[in-house]
Amino acid sequence: MRILVVDDQELNCTLLKFMLEQESHQVFCVSNGKQAVEQLITIDPDIVLLDVLMPIMDGFEAAPLIKKQVHDVYLPIIFITALDDKASLIRCLEVGGDDFISKPFDKIILSAKIKAHSRTRELSQNSFEQNKLLERYQNEVQREHEIVEHIFNNALVEHLNVPDIIDYHLSPASMFNGDIFLVSPSPIGGLYILLGDFTGHGLAAAIGALPVSKIFYSMAHKGLTVGEIASELNTMLADLLPGHMFCAASILELNKTGRSVSAWLGGLPDGYLLDMQGKVKKSLESQHMALGILETYEFEDTIVHFEVENTDRILVFTDGIIEASDINDNFFGEERVLELMSCPEKSKINDVVNAVKEFSGDIAQQDDLSLALINCKETALPDEEPRSFSQIPMSFTVKLNHKQLKHNDPIVQFVDIICSIEGASEHRSNLFLLLSEAYNNALDHGILKLDSSIKDTEEGFYEYYDNRAQALATLESGELHFEASYLPETQNVIFSIEDSGSGFCTAHNHHADNKGHSYGRGLGLMEEIASSITYNDIGNKINIYYCLNERATA
Amino acid sequence: MSLNKSFSSDGALFTIQIKGKFDFNLVQAFRSAYSEIGEKTPRVIVDLRETDYMDSSALGMLLNMKKSLGDSVSSIQIANCRPQIKKILQISRFDKKFDID
Repeated sequence: MRILVVDDQELNCTLLKFMLEQESHQVFCVSNGKQAVEQLITIDPDIVLLDVLMPIMDGFEAAPLIKKQVHDVYLPIIFITALDDKASLIRCLEVGGDDFISKPFDKIILSAKIKAHSRTRELSQNSFEQNKLLERYQNEVQREHEIVEHIFNNALVEHLNVPDIIDYHLSPASMFNGDIFLVSPSPIGGLYILLGDFTGHGLAAAIGALPVSKIFYSMAHKGLTVGEIASELNTMLADLLPGHMFCAASILELNKTGRSVSAWLGGLPDGYLLDMQGKVKKSLESQHMALGILETYEFEDTIVHFEVENTDRILVFTDGIIEASDINDNFFGEERVLELMSCPEKSKINDVVNAVKEFSGDIAQQDDLSLALINCKETALPDEEPRSFSQIPMSFTVKLNHKQLKHNDPIVQFVDIICSIEGASEHRSNLFLLLSEAYNNALDHGILKLDSSIKDTEEGFYEYYDNRAQALATLESGELHFEASYLPETQNVIFSIEDSGSGFCTAHNHHADNKGHSYGRGLGLMEEIASSITYNDIGNKINIYYCLNERATA
Repeated sequence: MSLNKSFSSDGALFTIQIKGKFDFNLVQAFRSAYSEIGEKTPRVIVDLRETDYMDSSALGMLLNMKKSLGDSVSSIQIANCRPQIKKILQISRFDKKFDID
């Protein structure tokens, strides 16, 4: 122990120093209060023995100034006093002293008091160290939470702004939300919507939200079905989450016209399809177990599908809403939610949230609260990206002999080659149609000499393809010549297909307007989609012109 | 290229989903898919969300399905077409014969 003795009488100092050093303390002596106050930080004592009556500054004055300098750890001040009147002793304690010891000193009592106060000081020191650790730990956690929060915010929000269609509210019970609400446009128009609720709440529950959002957005961009999205999420969560954790979810797809909805429903409370007045038209009951429980082979991706009106709304929520309780442990319940939905002036999500808050009063929020209202309206197609076209002319030719014709279906490969030209890939489906029609006509009629007219009946249709397979299998000769070139000046792709047959098609004998039949539709389609089509005189070569600088669906 | 079929959880809806290329290579698979549809399936959806390519043979297959099913189903819907596929259906006036969403 470092002990500071403050006494103006040298004898006392010497005596105390002697006694305390025998007990292996380190002793520092100063001769008045002022010196004690000034040298306190330098000496850094564990205990102060303070005389009351001293020149310059007495003990009563020095004690509070000493205490003022130490904040974090308890520094005991023991007054040394010859005074024995009650008032003086009480004053010692009032000005900040912790104890007193009377002159003349009793060695045993002095030693016992020093021990007692150093125990208290040690306790205080320990708790100070622990507080410091705790504070550091808290700061670290705080900083980590801020980082994670930032990541969550960026990962979960794709800034899709469709307030006229989607009205929603999420309020986590703690900093992180174990509920998740995602909306993504579909490439074919329409919206995907996911509301999920992970077991529990807080960071542990929220952690699964990251991979869920990643998979959801990527599958939504591909335009997959809700069943496929659910199945993929299930596989990932079953791998990722510990056994006792899972994610109840509803995944919905509202189509472009806002008239039809597909839904995979697993483990959330019933959702509702509401009409304009808020009357329940249909309840959307969970069909499946929550995501992340079943193994992939056990998982069911069956969906519900229903037609809706453009004035209908779909309400989905997590159990935090209906299980919000009041002071008497009553649940808010779905009846209250539905009742609000049927009041025209209260049927906004905010109204429900306010009602739940009012209901719960001062009760702290127990679980994450989430609910969403989807207005079944038409959505616009995602914006088309600006286009640019290759400046480099290109051409290629392919010759296929009868052996190659037998075993290959080269159309998609032709399409892929053409689509490698910058600006062509958005025309993929159209290019396929043109090439497929031209190629199959050349092969079927030019080389295999098949007759389309049998396709007119259903049986004939299948017979035709049987005949085709047979003819192809026994083909002994024949050649097909494919040529394509790209002209950067006009952004035109020109391709031709020439067969080794004697000709089957010329501008004179094909009839585009053949709508009642199961055949002959192809030529009409080609004429609509290509810029122009020409044939050679004998009818074994077709030239197709297609301009890339037009919208593929114009 | 593949064809998936599934019933909805209540059995009232049969969905045929075609991925990739919808052309004559699917003739047999497509025919056997709709031959499963019984009297108890009022609605059929041909889901083309993942159909990249389609040609006139697919149109023929769809028409055959319609002829074959006749009045045994209440509606055949061609759903979730990508814009270019939808355009092919429109040029062919399929919107008059099918419910295209």
